[in-house]
Amino acid sequence: MTALVALTERQVRASVRNLDIVFAVLVPVLTFVGFTIGLRNVIDTGGISYPQYVLPAVVVQAMLFGALNTTDLAAQEKASEFGVRLRTFPISVYSPMMARMLYCLIRGALALIAAFAVAYPFGFRMDGGPGFGAMFVVLSLTLTLALSFGAEATGTRAKRSDTSSQLLLIPQLLLVLLSTGMAPVESFPTWVQPFVEYQPISQITETLRGFASGHVEGTNLTITLVWCLGLLVGLGYLAIQGQGRQRGRRG
Amino acid sequence: MRIVIEVDGVSKAFGPLPALREVSFSVPTGSVCGLLGHNGAGKTTIVKILSTLLEPTTGKAVVAGFDVVADADQVRQSIGVTGQDAALDGSLTGRENLVLFGRLRGLKRKQAGVRADELIERFDLVDAADREVCTYSGGMRRRVDIAVSLIVPPKVLFLDEPTTGLDPRSRRDVWTLVASLAAQDVTVLLTTQYLEEADVLSDSIVILDAGRVIASGTAEELKRRMGHSYCQVTPLHPEDLVRVASVLGGYEGAEVDAAANTVSVPAPHGVTTLGEVFRKLEELGVELMDISLRKPSLDEVFLHLTGPTLTV
Repeated sequence: MTALVALTERQVRASVRNLDIVFAVLVPVLTFVGFTIGLRNVIDTGGISYPQYVLPAVVVQAMLFGALNTTDLAAQEKASEFGVRLRTFPISVYSPMMARMLYCLIRGALALIAAFAVAYPFGFRMDGGPGFGAMFVVLSLTLTLALSFGAEATGTRAKRSDTSSQLLLIPQLLLVLLSTGMAPVESFPTWVQPFVEYQPISQITETLRGFASGHVEGTNLTITLVWCLGLLVGLGYLAIQGQGRQRGRRG
Repeated sequence: MRIVIEVDGVSKAFGPLPALREVSFSVPTGSVCGLLGHNGAGKTTIVKILSTLLEPTTGKAVVAGFDVVADADQVRQSIGVTGQDAALDGSLTGRENLVLFGRLRGLKRKQAGVRADELIERFDLVDAADREVCTYSGGMRRRVDIAVSLIVPPKVLFLDEPTTGLDPRSRRDVWTLVASLAAQDVTVLLTTQYLEEADVLSDSIVILDAGRVIASGTAEELKRRMGHSYCQVTPLHPEDLVRVASVLGGYEGAEVDAAANTVSVPAPHGVTTLGEVFRKLEELGVELMDISLRKPSLDEVFLHLTGPTLTV
């Protein structure tokens, strides 16, 4: 436990020095402002205001970015002598990974606060009240944790530590662009509509919109929970598999 | 004397490549053991096995009373490891690194802070302690790195080529440090490519070549077996080298190094041999740039121990 706290503190300290924590706050602020000013009169969102429509997407985007950051942290540590030394210390082999996950959650929480702070003056409201607000936060953090496990699994297996986060950039971009985050499903070509509608980013964004407005559709909530649980368990398993003291097994 | 490191018939293969072959040696408590060998001789592989980073393919190793495979957790409680490259977080200060690793060894934040300050003082890092480690020189980094290994005094300290890449002054600093450790009952296993370093620091030396132990013993015992110093002559004019070589050709084991413009002859009687050589060259009337006694190089030791038929 001491090890986990100490390693998380180290991650936070480093992120203040390398300004990662500043990016954590800036990404949701800039994307929200950019989208709202640029697109609020362009995209037809049905009944709801554009800030209300786009904030969940901005949050999801920030959670994705935060998780992506884990790839580099994991890969660098795997390759560094610092990481090797950790493996000669009397601590759990999972502590360094758990510290990265905790850091990702802290980063996610900061991004959420920043997103709410910037969206409020533009008219975003948590109409569902504090209960739904809490669920909004929990779902966002679950998403970033699950994806961070995926990033960890990629980072620890990457051959090169300096470019490993790029590996995940394309799937990340595709998921965001082909989602109902920025625009409703009807605005996509018919042939990609099924993908756009049911992929996790769209479903989770939809659920977050529901939490913000105070009413969630049952099917959507179910799909979201299945996605979250599936990603958490699947990617968590892969991340844990990647942890080991030895770089080369006996052979 | 109690044995604190016991290596018994350890072999390690990476795929089809044997890295260690039936390596056995032991180190008594509170002594310094030097593992001497070229790059690729298997020194680092031994350190990795003893520090639980690798498992041996066959054989058994015990550190501080614990088996490195079966009781790896207890071994990790008992050791400190400093590798060839600084294993520090460059974005943290020296002090922060020390406190972090102290807490990872189970110290409370406050205890770790007190201990870090002690080590900062002792390792002469007071001025730099609050700067980020990435701004440190190589020598300072190495000092912090060794300090980290001592944050909770280990029973066994592994130093993998602790002076590689350091300037001569920093190297001396590390030597002084290692010598002071043995006085505090820390057993040290260090690896080096330099015969001189092993000689100065170690109570016992294990010489490795291509994954095998080719000799072991105290420095004195080995030196007796390695023989002798060499008397090395450098003529002022390179064209005299041939004449020098022919005059000194009578010494068994004389070697000519045309590239370095030197002739070396074994000097079993030290200064007496040097005087003899000097007189012969004076009679010849050759002007000398340098004449000196030097320790055998690692290559010469290996040749001596493995015999001239084996290539090293």
